[in-house]
Amino acid sequence: MILELLSVGLVISACLAIFLDEAVYSVAALAGTFFLTSILYALSGSVFAAVFQFAVGAGTLAILFLSGEMLSETPAKVPQKTLLSLVAVGVLLSLPAIFLSVSGQATVFYGIAFEEALWDLRAIDVVLQGFVIMTVALGIVIILHEKRKGGK
Amino acid sequence: MDYVILSLVLLAIGIYGLLTKRDLLKVFVSVELIATAATMNFVMLVPSLGKGLGEAFLVLAFATDTCVSGVILALLVIVHKKYGTSDIGDLVKIEENKKEDEVEA
Repeated sequence: MILELLSVGLVISACLAIFLDEAVYSVAALAGTFFLTSILYALSGSVFAAVFQFAVGAGTLAILFLSGEMLSETPAKVPQKTLLSLVAVGVLLSLPAIFLSVSGQATVFYGIAFEEALWDLRAIDVVLQGFVIMTVALGIVIILHEKRKGGK
Repeated sequence: MDYVILSLVLLAIGIYGLLTKRDLLKVFVSVELIATAATMNFVMLVPSLGKGLGEAFLVLAFATDTCVSGVILALLVIVHKKYGTSDIGDLVKIEENKKEDEVEA
Protein backbone atom coordinates (compact mmCIF):
# COMPACT_ATOMS: atom_id res chain seq x y z
CA MET A 1 0.00 0.00 0.00
CA ILE A 2 2.77 2.43 0.89
CA LEU A 3 4.49 1.83 -2.46
CA GLU A 4 1.26 2.71 -4.27
CA LEU A 5 0.91 5.92 -2.25
CA LEU A 6 4.53 6.80 -3.00
CA SER A 7 4.00 6.25 -6.72
CA VAL A 8 0.88 8.49 -6.67
CA GLY A 9 2.91 11.17 -4.88
CA LEU A 10 5.72 10.73 -7.39
CA VAL A 11 3.47 11.31 -10.39
CA ILE A 12 1.72 14.26 -8.71
CA SER A 13 5.03 15.96 -7.91
CA ALA A 14 6.27 15.30 -11.48
CA CYS A 15 3.11 16.94 -12.84
CA LEU A 16 3.57 19.92 -10.53
CA ALA A 17 7.24 20.23 -11.57
CA ILE A 18 6.26 20.50 -15.22
CA PHE A 19 3.03 22.48 -15.07
CA LEU A 20 3.69 25.07 -12.33
CA ASP A 21 4.76 28.31 -14.00
CA GLU A 22 7.08 29.72 -11.34
CA ALA A 23 10.61 28.29 -11.43
CA VAL A 24 11.03 28.08 -7.66
CA TYR A 25 7.79 26.13 -7.14
CA SER A 26 8.70 23.89 -10.05
CA VAL A 27 12.09 23.10 -8.51
CA ALA A 28 10.45 22.45 -5.13
CA ALA A 29 8.13 19.93 -6.81
CA LEU A 30 11.15 18.33 -8.50
CA ALA A 31 12.73 18.01 -5.06
CA GLY A 32 9.63 16.07 -4.00
CA THR A 33 10.02 13.82 -7.03
CA PHE A 34 13.64 13.03 -6.17
CA PHE A 35 12.83 12.45 -2.51
CA LEU A 36 9.93 10.11 -3.24
CA THR A 37 11.98 8.21 -5.84
CA SER A 38 14.71 7.75 -3.26
CA ILE A 39 12.23 6.37 -0.69
CA LEU A 40 10.73 4.08 -3.36
CA TYR A 41 14.18 2.65 -4.11
CA ALA A 42 14.94 2.16 -0.41
CA LEU A 43 11.66 0.35 0.21
CA SER A 44 12.28 -1.86 -2.82
CA GLY A 45 15.52 -3.07 -1.23
CA SER A 46 17.96 -1.04 -3.37
CA VAL A 47 19.67 0.94 -0.64
CA PHE A 48 22.69 1.94 -2.78
CA ALA A 49 20.38 3.26 -5.48
CA ALA A 50 18.41 5.22 -2.87
CA VAL A 51 21.56 6.80 -1.44
CA PHE A 52 22.89 7.75 -4.89
CA GLN A 53 19.52 9.15 -5.95
CA PHE A 54 19.35 11.22 -2.78
CA ALA A 55 22.91 12.52 -3.15
CA VAL A 56 22.60 13.40 -6.85
CA GLY A 57 19.15 14.90 -6.28
CA ALA A 58 20.38 17.05 -3.39
CA GLY A 59 23.29 18.40 -5.47
CA THR A 60 21.16 19.12 -8.50
CA LEU A 61 18.44 20.79 -6.47
CA ALA A 62 20.84 23.05 -4.60
CA ILE A 63 22.09 24.44 -7.93
CA LEU A 64 18.60 24.55 -9.39
CA PHE A 65 17.26 26.54 -6.43
CA LEU A 66 20.08 29.04 -6.86
CA SER A 67 19.44 29.28 -10.61
CA GLY A 68 15.69 29.54 -10.07
CA GLU A 69 16.13 32.32 -7.53
CA MET A 70 18.69 34.09 -9.71
CA LEU A 71 16.88 33.87 -13.01
CA SER A 72 13.22 34.31 -12.10
CA GLU A 73 11.13 37.13 -10.72
CA THR A 74 9.43 37.03 -7.32
CA PRO A 75 7.11 34.00 -7.50
CA ALA A 76 3.40 34.69 -7.61
CA LYS A 77 0.99 32.67 -5.51
CA VAL A 78 -0.34 29.58 -7.27
CA PRO A 79 -4.16 29.59 -7.54
CA GLN A 80 -5.83 26.89 -5.41
CA LYS A 81 -7.90 25.69 -8.39
CA THR A 82 -4.81 25.13 -10.56
CA LEU A 83 -3.08 23.24 -7.77
CA LEU A 84 -6.06 20.98 -7.16
CA SER A 85 -6.50 20.26 -10.86
CA LEU A 86 -2.80 19.37 -11.17
CA VAL A 87 -3.09 17.00 -8.20
CA ALA A 88 -6.15 15.40 -9.80
CA VAL A 89 -4.27 14.97 -13.09
CA GLY A 90 -1.38 13.39 -11.19
CA VAL A 91 -3.69 10.93 -9.40
CA LEU A 92 -5.34 9.99 -12.71
CA LEU A 93 -1.99 9.46 -14.42
CA SER A 94 -0.73 7.25 -11.61
CA LEU A 95 -3.74 4.89 -11.73
CA PRO A 96 -2.43 2.77 -14.65
CA ALA A 97 0.81 2.08 -12.76
CA ILE A 98 -1.18 0.84 -9.75
CA PHE A 99 -3.86 -1.24 -11.44
CA LEU A 100 -2.27 -2.44 -14.70
CA SER A 101 0.67 -4.75 -15.28
CA VAL A 102 2.78 -5.29 -18.38
CA SER A 103 5.87 -6.93 -16.88
CA GLY A 104 5.44 -10.52 -15.74
CA GLN A 105 6.61 -11.82 -12.38
CA ALA A 106 10.33 -12.45 -12.60
CA THR A 107 12.39 -14.38 -10.13
CA VAL A 108 14.79 -12.19 -8.16
CA PHE A 109 18.43 -13.02 -8.87
CA TYR A 110 20.74 -11.87 -6.10
CA GLY A 111 23.76 -13.75 -7.45
CA ILE A 112 26.19 -10.83 -7.49
CA ALA A 113 26.97 -8.13 -4.95
CA PHE A 114 26.97 -4.43 -5.82
CA GLU A 115 30.69 -3.94 -5.18
CA GLU A 116 31.55 -7.04 -7.18
CA ALA A 117 29.38 -5.91 -10.11
CA LEU A 118 30.84 -2.40 -9.99
CA TRP A 119 34.54 -3.26 -9.79
CA ASP A 120 34.79 -6.71 -11.38
CA LEU A 121 32.37 -6.26 -14.26
CA ARG A 122 32.18 -2.51 -14.88
CA ALA A 123 35.59 -1.27 -13.64
CA ILE A 124 36.65 0.24 -17.00
CA ASP A 125 33.27 1.96 -17.33
CA VAL A 126 33.57 3.44 -13.84
CA VAL A 127 37.07 4.79 -14.44
CA LEU A 128 36.13 6.22 -17.85
CA GLN A 129 33.02 7.83 -16.38
CA GLY A 130 35.26 9.45 -13.79
CA PHE A 131 37.36 10.94 -16.59
CA VAL A 132 34.24 12.10 -18.42
CA ILE A 133 32.89 13.84 -15.31
CA MET A 134 36.26 15.48 -14.67
CA THR A 135 36.46 16.68 -18.29
CA VAL A 136 32.92 18.05 -18.20
CA ALA A 137 33.59 19.81 -14.89
CA LEU A 138 36.76 21.40 -16.30
CA GLY A 139 34.88 22.35 -19.49
CA ILE A 140 32.15 24.07 -17.50
CA VAL A 141 34.73 25.96 -15.42
CA ILE A 142 36.51 27.09 -18.62
CA ILE A 143 33.24 28.15 -20.29
CA LEU A 144 32.16 30.18 -17.27
CA HIS A 145 35.66 31.63 -16.79
CA GLU A 146 35.93 32.67 -20.46
CA LYS A 147 32.51 34.28 -20.22
CA ARG A 148 33.56 36.16 -17.10
CA LYS A 149 36.77 37.32 -18.74
CA GLY A 150 34.86 38.39 -21.85
CA GLY A 151 32.35 40.33 -19.75
CA LYS A 152 35.08 42.43 -18.11
CA MET B 1 1.98 -2.16 -8.86
CA ASP B 2 3.97 -2.05 -12.08
CA TYR B 3 7.16 0.04 -12.15
CA VAL B 4 7.41 -0.16 -15.94
CA ILE B 5 4.13 1.74 -16.30
CA LEU B 6 5.19 4.20 -13.58
CA SER B 7 8.43 4.78 -15.46
CA LEU B 8 6.50 5.22 -18.74
CA VAL B 9 4.17 7.77 -17.12
CA LEU B 10 7.17 9.77 -15.83
CA LEU B 11 8.77 9.54 -19.28
CA ALA B 12 5.57 10.79 -20.92
CA ILE B 13 5.32 13.75 -18.51
CA GLY B 14 8.99 14.59 -19.17
CA ILE B 15 8.62 14.41 -22.96
CA TYR B 16 5.45 16.53 -22.80
CA GLY B 17 7.36 19.17 -20.83
CA LEU B 18 10.30 19.00 -23.22
CA LEU B 19 8.04 19.60 -26.22
CA THR B 20 5.71 22.25 -24.83
CA LYS B 21 7.67 24.36 -22.35
CA ARG B 22 9.69 27.30 -23.64
CA ASP B 23 11.67 28.14 -20.52
CA LEU B 24 15.16 26.61 -20.35
CA LEU B 25 14.75 25.82 -16.64
CA LYS B 26 11.57 23.87 -17.42
CA VAL B 27 13.39 22.06 -20.20
CA PHE B 28 16.02 21.10 -17.65
CA VAL B 29 13.35 19.86 -15.22
CA SER B 30 11.86 17.78 -18.07
CA VAL B 31 15.27 16.27 -18.83
CA GLU B 32 15.67 15.39 -15.15
CA LEU B 33 12.28 13.66 -15.13
CA ILE B 34 13.20 11.67 -18.23
CA ALA B 35 16.49 10.65 -16.60
CA THR B 36 14.63 9.61 -13.42
CA ALA B 37 12.25 7.51 -15.51
CA ALA B 38 15.17 5.84 -17.27
CA THR B 39 17.17 5.14 -14.12
CA MET B 40 14.10 3.72 -12.39
CA ASN B 41 14.21 0.82 -14.84
CA PHE B 42 17.73 -0.10 -13.71
CA VAL B 43 16.50 -0.51 -10.14
CA MET B 44 13.10 -2.01 -10.73
CA LEU B 45 14.00 -4.38 -13.57
CA VAL B 46 16.99 -5.87 -11.74
CA PRO B 47 15.52 -9.36 -11.37
CA SER B 48 16.58 -10.17 -14.91
CA LEU B 49 20.05 -8.57 -14.52
CA GLY B 50 21.01 -9.42 -10.98
CA LYS B 51 20.54 -6.82 -8.25
CA GLY B 52 24.20 -5.78 -7.97
CA LEU B 53 24.64 -5.33 -11.70
CA GLY B 54 21.46 -3.25 -11.94
CA GLU B 55 22.71 -0.89 -9.25
CA ALA B 56 26.16 -0.73 -10.89
CA PHE B 57 24.52 0.37 -14.14
CA LEU B 58 22.48 2.89 -12.14
CA VAL B 59 25.67 4.52 -10.82
CA LEU B 60 26.94 4.92 -14.39
CA ALA B 61 23.57 6.36 -15.45
CA PHE B 62 23.75 8.88 -12.59
CA ALA B 63 27.23 9.93 -13.73
CA THR B 64 25.92 10.64 -17.23
CA ASP B 65 22.91 12.44 -15.79
CA THR B 66 25.15 14.65 -13.66
CA CYS B 67 27.26 15.60 -16.71
CA VAL B 68 24.13 16.52 -18.67
CA SER B 69 22.83 18.58 -15.73
CA GLY B 70 26.13 20.47 -15.44
CA VAL B 71 26.27 21.34 -19.13
CA ILE B 72 22.61 22.46 -19.26
CA LEU B 73 23.01 24.63 -16.15
CA ALA B 74 26.18 26.25 -17.53
CA LEU B 75 24.34 26.99 -20.78
CA LEU B 76 21.38 28.36 -18.84
CA VAL B 77 23.55 30.77 -16.87
CA ILE B 78 25.48 31.92 -19.95
CA VAL B 79 22.36 32.40 -22.07
CA HIS B 80 20.60 34.33 -19.30
CA LYS B 81 23.61 36.58 -18.75
CA LYS B 82 24.05 37.24 -22.47
CA TYR B 83 20.44 37.73 -23.54
CA GLY B 84 18.65 38.54 -20.28
CA THR B 85 16.05 35.84 -20.84
CA SER B 86 15.84 32.06 -20.70
CA ASP B 87 12.78 31.74 -22.94
CA ILE B 88 13.61 29.76 -26.08
CA GLY B 89 11.10 31.71 -28.20
CA ASP B 90 12.60 35.04 -27.17
CA LEU B 91 16.11 33.74 -27.86
CA VAL B 92 15.13 32.72 -31.40
CA LYS B 93 13.57 36.15 -32.01
CA ILE B 94 16.66 37.94 -30.70
CA GLU B 95 18.93 35.91 -32.97
CA GLU B 96 16.65 36.52 -35.99
CA ASN B 97 16.62 40.27 -35.34
CA LYS B 98 20.41 40.21 -34.98
CA LYS B 99 20.78 38.47 -38.35
CA GLU B 100 18.37 40.92 -40.03
CA ASP B 101 20.36 43.85 -38.64
CA GLU B 102 23.58 42.33 -39.96
CA VAL B 103 22.04 41.85 -43.44
CA GLU B 104 20.75 45.45 -43.49
CA ALA B 105 24.14 46.76 -42.40
